[in-house]
Amino acid sequence: MAQLRHDYQNFVDRETEIIAVGPEGPDAFADWWHRHQMPFIGIGDPKHVIAKLFGQQVKLLKLGRMPAQFVIDKEGRMRNVHYGESMQDIITDEEVLALLDEINREQAGSKAA
Amino acid sequence: MIGKDKATLAPDFSAADSEGRTIRLADYKGKKNVFLVFNWGFA
Repeated sequence: MAQLRHDYQNFVDRETEIIAVGPEGPDAFADWWHRHQMPFIGIGDPKHVIAKLFGQQVKLLKLGRMPAQFVIDKEGRMRNVHYGESMQDIITDEEVLALLDEINREQAGSKAA
Repeated sequence: MIGKDKATLAPDFSAADSEGRTIRLADYKGKKNVFLVFNWGFA
């Protein structure tokens, strides 16, 4: 999360909002979020309603909660789906930013056409 | 990267964020890309 906070402006520059979801209840989540001054959107999801929508229940049952990342374009399509197999198993911000550049280029192209 | 023709639509959700605002994924449609991150725990 510290890396995402550091890189946030790079996401803003690519017309991208970051939404982070955690398993805490609203108070514990908001407390952490405020203490760390996170600049983007954070949601506490203690009943795993959102996580289940995105198919993370398998991980919840089998391994405990592992990270998962989704890149969603402006049309609402999931352009990258990554379920971590360990806490360290995440796609890097550099990879995500490169993907966003590609998506934005594609979109600029389809507008021009 | 998943090609745009093969990519499936993200399920919509609506939930309160840390500031008590209602965040709806569909509200970003046509406006912004979204990087959605699930974490194993913050607190």
